Amino acid sequence: MEQRNYTEHTEDLYQNAPFGYLTILVTGEIININNTLLNWLDFERDETLKNIIFQDLLGVGEKIFFESRVMPLLQMQGEVSEINLELKGKGTVRFPALINFKKIQRDPTDALVYRISVLDITQRKNFEKELIKARKEAEENANRLKQINVDLERFAYIASHDLKAPLNTIESIVALIKDENLVEPNGDRDELFSLITVNTNRMKMMINDLLEYSSIEDNSSKFEPIHLNEICLEALGTLDEAVRKNQAIFNIPELPEVAGIKIQLERLFQNLFSNAIKYRSEADPIVTVSWEKTDTYYTFRIKDNGMGIEQKEQNKIFGFMERLNTSKTISGTGIGLSSCKRIVEAHGGTIGVTSAPGKGSTFYFTLPIKR
Amino acid sequence: MEKAIINKNNVKRIGKGNQAILFAHGYGCDQNMWRFITPAFEEDYDIVLFDHVGSGNSNESHYDYQKYNSLNGYAEDVISLIENLELEKVIFVGHSVSSIIGLLAATQRPDLFKSMIMIGPSPCYINDEEYFGGFSKSDIDELIETLESNYLGWSSFITPIIVGNPDKPEFSKELHNSFCNMNPDIAKHFAKVTFLGDNRLDLNKMSIPGLVIQCHPDTISPVKVGKYVYNNLQNGEYMLLEASGHCPHLTAPEKTIAAIKSYLKS
Repeated sequence: MEQRNYTEHTEDLYQNAPFGYLTILVTGEIININNTLLNWLDFERDETLKNIIFQDLLGVGEKIFFESRVMPLLQMQGEVSEINLELKGKGTVRFPALINFKKIQRDPTDALVYRISVLDITQRKNFEKELIKARKEAEENANRLKQINVDLERFAYIASHDLKAPLNTIESIVALIKDENLVEPNGDRDELFSLITVNTNRMKMMINDLLEYSSIEDNSSKFEPIHLNEICLEALGTLDEAVRKNQAIFNIPELPEVAGIKIQLERLFQNLFSNAIKYRSEADPIVTVSWEKTDTYYTFRIKDNGMGIEQKEQNKIFGFMERLNTSKTISGTGIGLSSCKRIVEAHGGTIGVTSAPGKGSTFYFTLPIKR
Repeated sequence: MEKAIINKNNVKRIGKGNQAILFAHGYGCDQNMWRFITPAFEEDYDIVLFDHVGSGNSNESHYDYQKYNSLNGYAEDVISLIENLELEKVIFVGHSVSSIIGLLAATQRPDLFKSMIMIGPSPCYINDEEYFGGFSKSDIDELIETLESNYLGWSSFITPIIVGNPDKPEFSKELHNSFCNMNPDIAKHFAKVTFLGDNRLDLNKMSIPGLVIQCHPDTISPVKVGKYVYNNLQNGEYMLLEASGHCPHLTAPEKTIAAIKSYLKS
């Protein structure tokens, strides 16, 4: 093939570069513009340009932006880059442009001019629009999900709250029947009534747990300083009977102060302590609390000598209403630990467990150090 | 009460003098736009800066679409600001739409004001028969449409939104910080009120002295508009700055200061 030479001509490069160029005076008067930009704007060089200043290529919003932001910055910094403005050409011609501005004054006696480069970014803009649309959709979906969750929680709260009243009535009626000796003690009927009592109690426990779970809110504005030792004492107070019955021993060191919601942190410790007793081994329960701190958070550990949990079951236990087969004989609703998880998360921490069957469990959770 | 207004309008007060001078920013901006002007007045004046509700660091929760459906809502704020701070005979310096807001406030309560300095005022942006405002109705509709279609509002003029330039974030940050960024819904509403409004008949109702500071060319409030304002003021003066653009307080601060000072001297 024949070899050809190519010589670059500066004027041709300026006029026909794949980029728009123009030079304006401080007033906006256009003193030079290349053919590429003229073509993009669909303007004729001679006639039209005499009557046009740079600001005429801008819409009202762009003009305000140009006057109040671009020009001051240009004067201060000498250049401004990557400004995205829509340019208006002849008639209905409009295109989004990425614009760079540079102040030029070769000599103090020369006029001050601004050189402007213009890149047509129609394709990029379309792509950006798609991205923005996708993001907006994602945000809307997230908001909708949030709302659904809020509604569901409210429903759970109201439902469990309303279920409580008829259940209390059933309980009172059963008690009344027994008190009034309406059934023969130790007979078949008595046994059936006992079953009613057991099941009513189970249902009550479940409703209470549900109520508790659905009333955990994620609201750091309600946080107050909390002495965890007081919390532990309160929690143990509610478990007094179980502690005595099981001859459980609790070792609790001096604990730090954290930021949180008192009633929730009380439930957290109460649930963890109560599990340590409930899922005990042959040995009398010994529960040891310990803690350590890093720069940003505390880690608390609650170690027991209970029955322990199999490795593969450890992920499951924090799930809502999730109960392990091994513990089916022990009464519970499967809500306690998922409440713990929610409480810890609402306080900005995480919760987990290390355990092995027969070797006890250590539940650990983190809480941010209050500032 | 004073505290409430300080929070509502992000009021800042500086300066060593006794004579109060109140600076009011224009559309899409905030009090930062006066930063090149105020140092020249600190020695002799009691300078009060604020952000209109919905702009800058004002308390957005006070943005009441009903109240701010006309510039009178903003004028009410100016009056209550002056009353709450117990300022007397205020010199009001307003840029663009704020010069009309100031004019409306001074018409209602002339007792609170000493003089009205209007930088780039326009009582009506849209051309109307004989009147030249500089814009057609469709120009303004296009602005509203831009603001409406722009999910990210005003800030989208600065390109690095998503595809942008992550290794140079400080740049757009400077644009954001040195000026400001409006809530898109408020930006749209304020734009409608500002650019679709017509306050031509209010101009001659103000009795206190007023000064029009005009640049050339100013493509937002052209010379013709500035002259129109001047011609309709009861007690007006007119100064044509040797500067171009709509924001001389940012691009030609020395000239703007000189114009204000020479007017206040006379």
